[in-house]
Amino acid sequence: MAKPKVKENIIQDDFNERVRRLGLSDETLIGLYRTMCTVRHFEYTADRLYAEGKVHGTMHLSAGQEAVAAGTRLALQTDDYLINHHRGHGHFIAKGADVNMMMAEFLGKDTGYNHGRGGSMHIADFQSNNLGANGIVGGGIPQAVGVGLALQMQRRKEICVCIFGDGASNEGVFHEAMNMASLWKLPVLYICENNKYGMSMDVERVVAKLPIAQRAEAYGIPWSTVDGNDVIAVYETMKNAAEHVRAGSGPYFVEAMTYRYFGHSKSDRNLYRPKEEIEDWKQNRDPIMRFTKCLLRSEILGEEQAREVNAQAEQVILKAVEYAEASPDPDISTLMEYVYA
Amino acid sequence: MPIPFIMPKFDMDQEKATIIAWSKKEGDFIKFDETVLTVETEKVAIDVPAPATGTLARILFKDGDMVPVTKVIAYILKEGETLADLPPANSTPLPPKPEPFDRAQGKAVPVPQTETAAQAASIIATPVAMRMAKEEGVDLSKVTSSGERITREDVERFLASKKSVGRVTVAATPAARRIARESGIALETVAGSGPRGRVQSADVSEMTKPIPAPGIHEAEVIPLTGIRRTIAERMQQSFQESPHIALTVDVDMTEAENVRKRFNAQAEKLEQPRITLTALIIKVVAWALVRNPYLNASFNGDSISLWKEVNIGVATAAPQGLIVPVLKSADKLGVSEINLRLTELTDRARDNKLKLEDVHGGTFTISNLGMFGIRQFRAVINPPESAILAVGSIVRTPMVVDENDRIEVRPVLSLTLSADHRVIDGIVAARFLSDLVTGLESPSMLLY
Amino acid sequence: MPEMTYLEAIRQALWQEMKRDESVFLIGEDIGVYGGAFGLTHGMLDEFGPERVRETPISEATIVATAVGASLLGMRPVAEIMFMDFVLLALDQIANQAAKMRFMFGGRTSVPIVVRMPGGSGTGAASQHSQSLESILMHFPGLKVVNPSTPYDAKGLMLASIRDPNPVCFVEHKALYKTKGDVPEDDYIIPIGVAEVKRAGRDLTVVANNIMVMKTLNVAKRLAQDGIEIEVIDPRTLLPLDIETIINSVVKTGRLLVVHEACQTGGWAGEVIASVVGSPAFDYIDAPVRRLGGRDIPIPYNRGLEKFAVPQEADIENEIRALVGGAL
Repeated sequence: MAKPKVKENIIQDDFNERVRRLGLSDETLIGLYRTMCTVRHFEYTADRLYAEGKVHGTMHLSAGQEAVAAGTRLALQTDDYLINHHRGHGHFIAKGADVNMMMAEFLGKDTGYNHGRGGSMHIADFQSNNLGANGIVGGGIPQAVGVGLALQMQRRKEICVCIFGDGASNEGVFHEAMNMASLWKLPVLYICENNKYGMSMDVERVVAKLPIAQRAEAYGIPWSTVDGNDVIAVYETMKNAAEHVRAGSGPYFVEAMTYRYFGHSKSDRNLYRPKEEIEDWKQNRDPIMRFTKCLLRSEILGEEQAREVNAQAEQVILKAVEYAEASPDPDISTLMEYVYA
Repeated sequence: MPIPFIMPKFDMDQEKATIIAWSKKEGDFIKFDETVLTVETEKVAIDVPAPATGTLARILFKDGDMVPVTKVIAYILKEGETLADLPPANSTPLPPKPEPFDRAQGKAVPVPQTETAAQAASIIATPVAMRMAKEEGVDLSKVTSSGERITREDVERFLASKKSVGRVTVAATPAARRIARESGIALETVAGSGPRGRVQSADVSEMTKPIPAPGIHEAEVIPLTGIRRTIAERMQQSFQESPHIALTVDVDMTEAENVRKRFNAQAEKLEQPRITLTALIIKVVAWALVRNPYLNASFNGDSISLWKEVNIGVATAAPQGLIVPVLKSADKLGVSEINLRLTELTDRARDNKLKLEDVHGGTFTISNLGMFGIRQFRAVINPPESAILAVGSIVRTPMVVDENDRIEVRPVLSLTLSADHRVIDGIVAARFLSDLVTGLESPSMLLY
Repeated sequence: MPEMTYLEAIRQALWQEMKRDESVFLIGEDIGVYGGAFGLTHGMLDEFGPERVRETPISEATIVATAVGASLLGMRPVAEIMFMDFVLLALDQIANQAAKMRFMFGGRTSVPIVVRMPGGSGTGAASQHSQSLESILMHFPGLKVVNPSTPYDAKGLMLASIRDPNPVCFVEHKALYKTKGDVPEDDYIIPIGVAEVKRAGRDLTVVANNIMVMKTLNVAKRLAQDGIEIEVIDPRTLLPLDIETIINSVVKTGRLLVVHEACQTGGWAGEVIASVVGSPAFDYIDAPVRRLGGRDIPIPYNRGLEKFAVPQEADIENEIRALVGGAL
């Protein structure tokens, strides 16, 4: 496998130059940092709540993948549509979801996004064009064709971003959808968030030819790969891809290389990967750590301020937990609601 | 231990009773068998006697309350006992003898939850078995354990054995079962016309049609529940559906009384029961019915059935309400035999021991209220019959006895016939009454 | 009232609704110049153009998914699955996605799509092009399953299905396409979830769907000459099922037979019968409650074998005579 080209000092070397070139203000950069911190706190808090027995179901945490969420969001317009996958907390938060409603849904409360019907895996927010996460691996990929088709038929400027994991690229609908999206030149940005494992399966054991993104070639879709733990690189890649899509040139495919810290879900005991590997990613390639270093070195952010932003992010999440815990469960009398419109 | 005073069970299938009034209050000294309260079942009001002597304490149900039978309604403190000896107010009181009853229908009968904590403690059972027993209403003391303690399997086995006892084995469609249930017909007695003898709805419907079927052998015991309801329905139906006409005649009973005296003198010698007036009237009525077949008939809507048998029902007051035992083939019997059978039937009616066949198959009914001094009354026809004879009291009345207008005091009986005008013309009814007069005024011709 | 075929009635409904509502579009395989495998969409490409008569690659799952995605943005897609058998390729999108989205997302969205699919045997298309899979689709709350048996019902139900805010599986029967009936030119709706008593009778209730309605009505005519009056109920919608109409009928007749072409085992007749037997109608049942489904085999190719794999009029008649005559 072509290992993701992660050099620890790459950001430091050309960080300032890239930021200037991309026209990113200090405020924007601090915003990216804040988003990543918020996602990180959400995920670790979710894990704690689970350990405390406050979570009824399962969850899929994206700690370690925050840069993909934050960088992608920055490259999009507010009204762009999002079709998400099951490990989707980060993308929702980055897109501006209300963490109170997310946390309430996570705890199965009536005040949650789905009135306690969906849980962690199905958060959706139709008001902000977040069309929901999907519990079926790859289930959203062909739906993005429909969203793209509707946008095209309605002559609209928004695009659809469809995010899925490395595992989903082996589903049949992946190939049907790539073909149709390309055929009809639909405004869909496909993002494969390759965190190296589909549950326990290493991508190298299940994908015949890497990178996954080169599969787009077969369907005439332009593609690229990016270091998914470099938030600026993610932003730059997504920005270019989104421009391509928004211009009406058809879909674009990006594969972002990243890594998840937690197991696939709560029942995962990480028997399929060495502890050293997890530690290596955490110690040497963590997206927040890398970005923080850059911000500090470039003096965009002081250490004190960095701590403060991080603490604020944590507070937001703790408040969300308070909100969720104080919220009522859905009334049993509403059991049969929401089945039919 | 104070004595629990339970709501007694009076009838076989009685489940509850309503308290009409307590005649004693808490603190009153009551003696064994003395009336303490009056309750009402579906049929009657009954005085409830004290089960023991002592002081009445803690009345648990007030006037007007409906109480399941065997439920504790109060306690009786024995000498030396005080209120402190009563069981805790919120504990489930233990009736002296919970009486689980089986019903032939195989219905699961909920046994009242009767265990006290003490009793429960003396039974060794697993928690699961105890929970099951509670849920299923099983008295654990009746469950045999296969080991040291009663287990779930033991309870399950017990439940299974209960179920198999009363299982209905008659093959019948659900519709047939419903009609049978609604009409009080035992499915066992219905001949099924369906495949493998399965009872179809039409088979049961056939039996509910107003055709008396002499020789029916339906069940061991008359279902007594709601007898009042049955009477009400039948009377209403009769009065609404059949146009009643009523005709009255007076009968000079001089000769009949003479005959009865002679019979009774003989009966005394033979140590037989005395001939009742009713028996005599039945004899005459049976004879007149043979002569007037339209009085011994049923209206079927589009036809009239004239019956071969003359089966005379006699309205009888029984403890549970009005009942009409039927004297089969009365026209074939002598007056002594009628008398014997009638006595036997009315005795059984009073003892609540009538069989279904005793009350089915009547073709004509006699109702006698004469013994109560009723001079004359009109009765409602007992469907599907077409007529009923109301017998009043014998009153000594001055009457003209010959062509010279000589007046004598004679015993006069007033008979009123109610007849279904759809079947019986006025003149037909009149002829029948005329025959009755003849028969009763010259009884010798019938009796010897 | 003009007479037209079942196929023409569906086409007219699609046509009129596309004229009326710009958000309606068709999507499926070969639905353009070819007019679909059965010619149902014939002429519609010329009228509405390739954008609204959207021809696709052979990708059933993504055809339905595209409809789902587009519906989230306010479109009213009508997807065609060329043969009902192929719906199995798209079942994730129908059962896991379309049916559940509204519920999973707490009622904050709806999925107003129609998935048309011709099922049924009789065309010699063998095992993978002849199935009646409507029973499978009934097992997914959130879906509606519509199943017309006449041209009149087909048009009214199609208009109702497109306007319904929920995902609707519109199950057609290939052998009904050429059957004729009176169909008004006007816009009219047959409400989803309402059964119709196609023929009133007192002796036995037959519940049948699509082509079995026609067959049962033919049988009913013959039986009437012998004094047997059967009541024929067409549920028209299988999910939600109008069980009340069926229960009321059974209370009246005391006898029930359910006839469908779908394989008997696991077929929807079982659902109907269980509902009826468990209802107050139980106390009115006066004969074994029976079902007559397709044989539990894949549909064979040979004409004779194919015919006897599914209930024929003689089978229906025999069943009814046995039930009414007291042989069962």
